[in-house]
Amino acid sequence: MFALLIQDPVNINGPDRSPQQAVDAYGQLTKLASTFSHVDGLFYFTYAVCIFFFVLIVGVLLFSVVKYRRKTWDQLPASNTTHNTPLEVVWTVIPLIIVMIMFAWGYMGARDMTVVPLEASRNTYKASAKQWNWTFHYPNHPVASYNEVWLEVGKPVQFLLESSDVLHAFYLPAMRVKRDVIPGRYQSVWFTPTTVGEYHLFCAEYCGKDHSKMYAKVHVVDTATFNAPQRPWDQWEDSTPELAAKSGANLYSQLCIACHSVNGTPGVGPSWKGLFIKNADGTYTGRQREVIDNTDGGKRKTITVDDAYIIESVHLPEAKKVAEEPYVRNAMTAFPDLDERKVRGLIEYMKTLADTK
Amino acid sequence: MTTNVPVIDSHAAPVAGRKNFLNCSSGFLSWAGTLDHKRIGIMYLVGVSLAFLAGGLFALLVRLHLWKPDGMLFDNVQYNQIFTLHGAFMVFIFVIPAIPGSLGNMVLPLMLGAKDVALPRLNLLSFYLWLAGALMATLAIVLGGFDTGWTFYAPYSLYTDQAVVTIGLAVFVLGFSSIFTGLNFIVTVHKLRAPGLTWFRMPLFVWAIYATAILQVLATPVLGITVLLVAFERLYHIGIFDPRLGGDPVLFEHFFWFYSHPAVYIMVLPAFGIVSELVSVHSRKPLFGYKLIAFSSLAIAIISFLVWGHHMFTSGQSTYALFAFSFLTFFVAIPTAIKEFSWVATIWKGSIALNAPMLYTLAFLIIFAIGGLTGVILGALNVDIHLHDTYFVVAHFHYVMMGSIALAFFAGLHHWWPKMFGVMYNETLAKIACGIIFVGFNTTFIPQFIMGSRGMPRRYATYVPDYMGFHQASTIGAMVLGAGVALMVFYLVASLFQGKKAMQNQWGGVTLDWLTPTPPPLENFDEAPVVTTEVYDYSTLDYKAMQTPVA
Amino acid sequence: MSHDGHHSVVIPAPGPEFVPHTVAHHFDTPVQEFQSMKLGFWLFLATEILLFGGLFAAYFYFHESYPETFRLGGHQLDWKLGALNTSVLLLSSWTMAMGVRSSQTSQKQKTLFFCGLTVLGAVIFMVIKFFEYRAKNEHGLIVFSELFHPYDLTTNSLPWFKDYDGVMAGVPHPHLFFAIYLTMTAIHGLHVVIGAGLILWIMKGTAKGRFHAGYYLPVDLVGLYWHLVDLIWIFLFPLLYLVP
Ligand code: HEA
Ligand code: HEA
Ligand code: HEC
Ligand code: CUA
Ligand SMILES: [Cu+2]
Repeated sequence: MFALLIQDPVNINGPDRSPQQAVDAYGQLTKLASTFSHVDGLFYFTYAVCIFFFVLIVGVLLFSVVKYRRKTWDQLPASNTTHNTPLEVVWTVIPLIIVMIMFAWGYMGARDMTVVPLEASRNTYKASAKQWNWTFHYPNHPVASYNEVWLEVGKPVQFLLESSDVLHAFYLPAMRVKRDVIPGRYQSVWFTPTTVGEYHLFCAEYCGKDHSKMYAKVHVVDTATFNAPQRPWDQWEDSTPELAAKSGANLYSQLCIACHSVNGTPGVGPSWKGLFIKNADGTYTGRQREVIDNTDGGKRKTITVDDAYIIESVHLPEAKKVAEEPYVRNAMTAFPDLDERKVRGLIEYMKTLADTK
Repeated sequence: MTTNVPVIDSHAAPVAGRKNFLNCSSGFLSWAGTLDHKRIGIMYLVGVSLAFLAGGLFALLVRLHLWKPDGMLFDNVQYNQIFTLHGAFMVFIFVIPAIPGSLGNMVLPLMLGAKDVALPRLNLLSFYLWLAGALMATLAIVLGGFDTGWTFYAPYSLYTDQAVVTIGLAVFVLGFSSIFTGLNFIVTVHKLRAPGLTWFRMPLFVWAIYATAILQVLATPVLGITVLLVAFERLYHIGIFDPRLGGDPVLFEHFFWFYSHPAVYIMVLPAFGIVSELVSVHSRKPLFGYKLIAFSSLAIAIISFLVWGHHMFTSGQSTYALFAFSFLTFFVAIPTAIKEFSWVATIWKGSIALNAPMLYTLAFLIIFAIGGLTGVILGALNVDIHLHDTYFVVAHFHYVMMGSIALAFFAGLHHWWPKMFGVMYNETLAKIACGIIFVGFNTTFIPQFIMGSRGMPRRYATYVPDYMGFHQASTIGAMVLGAGVALMVFYLVASLFQGKKAMQNQWGGVTLDWLTPTPPPLENFDEAPVVTTEVYDYSTLDYKAMQTPVA
Repeated sequence: MSHDGHHSVVIPAPGPEFVPHTVAHHFDTPVQEFQSMKLGFWLFLATEILLFGGLFAAYFYFHESYPETFRLGGHQLDWKLGALNTSVLLLSSWTMAMGVRSSQTSQKQKTLFFCGLTVLGAVIFMVIKFFEYRAKNEHGLIVFSELFHPYDLTTNSLPWFKDYDGVMAGVPHPHLFFAIYLTMTAIHGLHVVIGAGLILWIMKGTAKGRFHAGYYLPVDLVGLYWHLVDLIWIFLFPLLYLVP
């Protein structure tokens, strides 16, 4: 049963990236799911202007080419005019007026998008970008979720954006919002989701290797679901060992996959396969590990892998180092952000990789 | 424009056995060490064409890889390297030097009635700097490649373990090549015009190259110092772009776009020049609104220094900055709109020859309207917030860079090919190739507009399956486009070996370049020309007395 | 109006110790040649100014962001040495002008003398600069031997900047001032060296008698270049040593 879970490609690739139902074919833009309808309005307005001028230009060209095409080598032009001041004024002024309309419309829209209303600032999420995943912190909840986030429909929301490495960009096409995430400073976006559904969140600023996989899923849910005693993101977390393992697998594919394998191949860090051993009665025991205990003057010890050891490994990797080449020399990133519930998910996931006795 | 070259002969077949710049001397050194602007132009032509084919090959790899949502050919790092290589080659090694370096060098002194550019040695140096830059970029591939995107955004470009310093220095060297070319042309236009060739008798190609040159001289040094600072950051960590050290990555963006926005006009103004020239010659009509076109080039050159912020609308600028940058962006569209309308008006009621150069020009006019107008869409603040860094932007700039500039370059190439080499290519094949390229091009990039407006981000090695259909259509288009380009390369090269001899004045043009022998002699004119008539005055040619052209 | 090089324009030499100058084949007159080269060179100087313009922009940006760092950093520089260098360069600008003047009037010895003095000025400037750099090196503000060592991620510190807890303690990003100082003065120093090389080349030509009242263009241009180098220092000195 667990084996199935591991092989499920969905888990390894983070959240399900399958097509959204919301991407339907009305016009050229994705269906709008926020209140920023001025984006669509201006887009289709300029689109219409473009089509008008395009048709005009191509029409005149085609007409000329058909009508005035040179038939003999010495054919002279039908006219030699080089100016027509009224015409030139017209074709300067009309585009000028049109672009000024676009400018004003666009500017007002952008101001609307940058000035955060009070209501949204009272509902502030934090989105932390990191090569190559997103962490979301909820207002008034001490938990965080990875690469998936839940919003309440109809409620203005602000995202405070921070990056701990390079540039990223927070892009929600359906909401028409995008903002660069810049290390060393805070940025923010706000919007009001108007339609229940699941939406793509892309990283839109090139950030290196897995830029294209820096993907999160935004769930907009109705108020009742959002406020249910069992929070929507809780089910992402734990409740049953299976669910916990699922969230652990998710985390693994975002944070740990770079260094740890799950099939026994050595990586930067030791493989997780066989960290636990499954007993005949279905319980698990940790394997024996030789470690250098830096909390105890660097003594060499043999310990049994258990929850405490793993929690420590995640929060303070330097505390006990695996006494095996090359792992003793390699450093592991610390993840102090991962609360105990998350690590429990990881542990449940590790148990699915256990060797059976 | 009359000169002391007898007008009646101007369509004569070339005199056999006459010495011209191609056959006046031979041997590797007579080319490698040449100071003749025409030979330097041809060396550039060969160089930038190879760069284009290399860049195009990378583009085909990009398109093939994106056939499937999970990618087909590469891992993510390789994909990132390939699109970076594609962008960097196309921008720095192909499109910026392409028209000024090859056709500008070739034609500008001819049009001015000069014997050479003002600073021939500097001209040769520009070429070798270009070559050095191109080789360094190639070396960077050998050293493991680079994966920063053509924009080198910090801080990623500071942290990645790839050959960023090498490519940075390559860009620095290429920048100086471009600066020296521009500087040379400015001096040439100011000081070497033939007697009687007043500013407003200059062909519009000259005006365009002149406006370009101003941009090259004034904008490129900032790029130079920017890539140098990135190199220093990597070598000894100055800290000005590195947020860990108190630096500001957004400052890098400002520096970069302060150059790179004017750079897009460095690329496009010469293309405008070619189109202005060609619509006039092939419609046999003086340009509609000549002065306005000339001035609009200068207006574009000046305003383009003030709009760089439109590449950074999502970077969190103040609303005042947004206001100014968006406003000026729209403003810069107006002189361009004037040009587009004037070209169309020139064709209106002309005597329109549907030969290969004209077909490429018509393709330009259609594609540039789309490319430019989608630029205007991007200038709208709120819309750009949605479209920034999506395939909509990718499609926009390919409509202007590939569909407009590269096609204008092809148009000019076909137009001056007989002048340069004294031979004509196969017209039928040329028309077919033009058609294939036009269809292939639009098939490649129209789907990109659609998926871009639906949110497909750029620089993605893998993508969500929503966009698969668009990507596949685009890939098919790119293959068609590639076939068209390959056909063009084929018949152009073939014409060198078995093309028919070209006429001296193949198209019946009246600018000075058509009034010299074909191909021109070493110092361009047998008799120093004196200009006595207005520009584009086609009544000075007696077409009836000229032979019917080949083809 | 020659096309075959048979009758190029030649400017005669003013005396036996000079050589005549042949105008390049594609120019019709010496005036045209002179003006073309001069225009070209002015444009080149404009690109140099723009190149430094980028550095100045960075300077102002960070001066705005971290005024304290720049104030304290500026105090670590020795304004006396800077002032000395400024006067050396100003003086050398004068000697260069005299050199150009002498060349224009075909005074070979005087040209050599003044150009020599200018090169001497460049040498003195660089020597003073060397002592300034050495002092920074000793105080750990710019440790040259460790300049190219990578940034240390675990301690968040730069190997070439050893003064996190010393005179620069308490200000944000103390290395920034010195990084900018080093970059600007090093690039300027490079220009000084190039300029000195050009002047030496001019002296060689002068000794051979190539430059005289009829043809002094290269001397003129190198003179312009030297004034530019001087001018840039005139901006650097107050910004780095005094304004903070
Ligand atoms: C040669 C290249 C070239 C040219 C000519 C242009 C021309 C224009 N570009 Fe483009 N642009 C690029 C190359 C170019 N661009 C590149 C390379 C990028 C992306 C870089 C990167 O991020 O990698 C880019 C990106 C880009 C952006 C940023 C998008 C983003 O990243 O979010 C914007 C935004 O304002 C923009 C606007 C414009 C405008 C307003 C014009 C105008 O000059 C267009 C003017 C032309 C017309 C208007 C058409 C002709 C006129 C008519 C048909 C008449 C009717 C006209 C009206 C009614 C107005 N461009
Ligand atoms: C002048 C500039 C220029 C030109 C002409 C092109 C031409 C093309 N580009 Fe270009 N492109 C850029 C400049 C240019 N591009 C830039 C700046 C970027 C951004 C990079 C970045 O994000 O950093 C980019 C990015 C870019 C992307 C986005 C990648 C991504 O974001 O992930 C794509 C995807 O489709 C693409 C495709 C193409 C295609 C199909 C062509 C075609 O038009 C190419 C047509 C040419 C050919 C097909 C060549 C044919 C040659 C042969 C078949 C060989 C034959 C050989 C012989 C006969 C000897 N380009
Ligand atoms: C940068 C690479 C890296 C990343 C990312 C990483 N690790 Fe590690 N990990 C290591 C290395 C190296 C070791 C061995 C040295 C040590 O024990 O500190 C290790 C050891 C461990 C151990 C002890 C294993 C054993 O066999 O005893 C655990 C448990 C662990 N990591 C969990 C995690 C979890 C959970 C994550 C993700 C949330 C993670 N690691 C991410 C590099 C990494
Ligand atoms: Cu993160 Cu792209
Ligand atoms: Cu731009």
